[in-house]
Amino acid sequence: MTQDDRAQTGRDTREAAAARAGIAVRPEEFQGKRYPGDREKVFELKGVDVLYSGVTAVKGISMDIHRNDVTALIGPSGCGKSTLLRCLNRMNDLIPTAEVRGELLYQGEDLYGPGVDPVQVRKLIGMVFQKPNPFPKSIYDNVAFGPRILGRKDDLDATVEKALRGAALWDEVKDRLADNAFGLSGGQQQRLCIARCIAVEPEVILMDEPCSALDPISTGKIEDLMIELKDEFSIVIVTHNMQQAARVSDRTAFLMVELDATEQSRWGRLVEFDETEKIFTNPADKRTEDYVSGKVG
Amino acid sequence: MADQVRVYYQEELEKLEASGLGGLDLVDTAIERTLEAIEHTDVELAQIVVADDDRIDGRYLEVHQSLITLLATQSPVATDLRLISALLHVLKNVERMGDQCVNICKLIPLSGNEPPADAEMVRLILTMGKHTRTLIMQAKRAFEERDIELAQDLVRQDDAVDNLNRECFRLALEIGDDADKREWAMTMLLAARAIERIGDNAVDIGEQVAFVVTGLFREFEDASHPNE
Repeated sequence: MTQDDRAQTGRDTREAAAARAGIAVRPEEFQGKRYPGDREKVFELKGVDVLYSGVTAVKGISMDIHRNDVTALIGPSGCGKSTLLRCLNRMNDLIPTAEVRGELLYQGEDLYGPGVDPVQVRKLIGMVFQKPNPFPKSIYDNVAFGPRILGRKDDLDATVEKALRGAALWDEVKDRLADNAFGLSGGQQQRLCIARCIAVEPEVILMDEPCSALDPISTGKIEDLMIELKDEFSIVIVTHNMQQAARVSDRTAFLMVELDATEQSRWGRLVEFDETEKIFTNPADKRTEDYVSGKVG
Repeated sequence: MADQVRVYYQEELEKLEASGLGGLDLVDTAIERTLEAIEHTDVELAQIVVADDDRIDGRYLEVHQSLITLLATQSPVATDLRLISALLHVLKNVERMGDQCVNICKLIPLSGNEPPADAEMVRLILTMGKHTRTLIMQAKRAFEERDIELAQDLVRQDDAVDNLNRECFRLALEIGDDADKREWAMTMLLAARAIERIGDNAVDIGEQVAFVVTGLFREFEDASHPNE
C-alpha cells in the first residue's frame, strides 16, 4: 500500500504496520502455504455492474477466478452474491429486466459478446442450486438428461456411471437406477444434481448455497466432493456458511451492501478478495474482519 | 451493517483476556514475595510462595479450558483467533513465571539459616527482580492496549536484566575461597538465572502482542541468530 493509498482509504495494512515496527517473518516457511501467483484465469471480471430494471444490484466488481480453484462468495443477505454468480453463466438472461455492464471474460472471450450462445455457455458452466431440484424421472434419466439433449447417445450407461461416481453417489444408487429420483434423501438428491451437472462435462460448476438444505453429514459429503471435483473443474460457490467457505475454498470474495448518501439506493460491492487462509486469519479490511468474525451481519 | 451481534461471545472473550492477563498480577505478587524472602532469608514466606503457586496454576487451567471451549463452540477467526492463540501462549508464560518463583523459593532454605550473604550480590538480585516486575506490568499494559512500540521496548528493559545477571555471575566468580560463601553464591546464581528467565517470558508476551496486532510472528530477539 502506497502513501497515496493510505491517504485515500485512511487505512493501513497490517503488513505496512509490521514493516514500520520492523517485524518481518522468518523463516519463510512459517508463513503458511503460499498460493501460486501465476494461475490460469477462467473468469476475468472488470468493473462488472448488474442492474435489474435499471436499478443497480451489484457495482464495480473486478476479480479474477482461477482454474481448478474453489472460489467462495460470501457476504450478508442482499449483497449480490447470487446475482454475481448467475452472471457467470448468463442465468440472469432469463430475467428480462436484468442488464450486465462492464467486461466479463470467460477464458479470455467476452461472455456477453455478440454471437455467444447462452445455451452453449450454460453447457460449459453448469449450476447447482440451493434446493435439490431433480426432475420427476428415474435416477438414470436425470443424469442422462443433459447428454441426451446434446445428442450424445453413445455409451450413455458409461456416461451416467462416470457422472454418478464423480458425484460420489454411484455406490448408493447403482442397484436402483430406475427408481424415481424423489425417493432419494435430500443429500443424495443434491449429489444427483451435481451428477446431472457434470454429466455434460462442463468446465465450471457454479453452486448457489448447495448445502443450506442439508444435514451435517450430507454437507460433509458435498464438501468432500467439491475438493475432489476441483481437480477436474473450477468451482464457484455462494455460501452463507462461513466455516464452509473456510473449509472448502481456495480463495474467498467478501461482498457487502453499500448505501448511497441518501440511503435510498443499495447495491453489492466487492470488499476483499484473497486467499481463504488470509481472509479467515488476517483479513486486510476491517469490514471483512467484522463479518467473518460474526460481529456484524 | 447491522448492530453488534454475538454479544455473549465477545463478553466471554474479553473476560478471558482480563482473567488471563490477571495471571500476571498473581505473578507480580509472587515475585514481590520471592524478593522479600531472598532479602530476609525468610523461609516461611518462601513456603507461602510455593503453596500459592497453585493459584497461578489454577488460573492457567481455568482460562485455558475456557479458551478451548470458545474455540470448540464459537469458531473464532481473524483477530479473535489470533487473540485466543496469543492468550494460550501468555498463559503458558504466566505458568512458567510462577514456576520460576517456586524454583527460587525452594532454593532459599538451601542457603542456610544465616547465610554468608554478599550484600552487593543480594542488591543486584533485588534490582533484577524490581526490573522484572516492571517488565511484567509493561507486558500486561502492552497487551491490553495492543501497543507494539511498548511491547518492543520490553527488549531494551530486558537487556538491563540480562546485564545484571552477568554482573551477578562476575561477582560469584570473585566471591573468594570460602566454601560456604561459594555455595551461597552458586545458589544465588540459580535464583538470578530464574529471574532472568522471567524477564524473557515477559518479552515473549510482547511478541504475542505484535502477533495479535499484525498477524505476523517474529521473535523480537532471536538467541539463535543474535546478529540479525
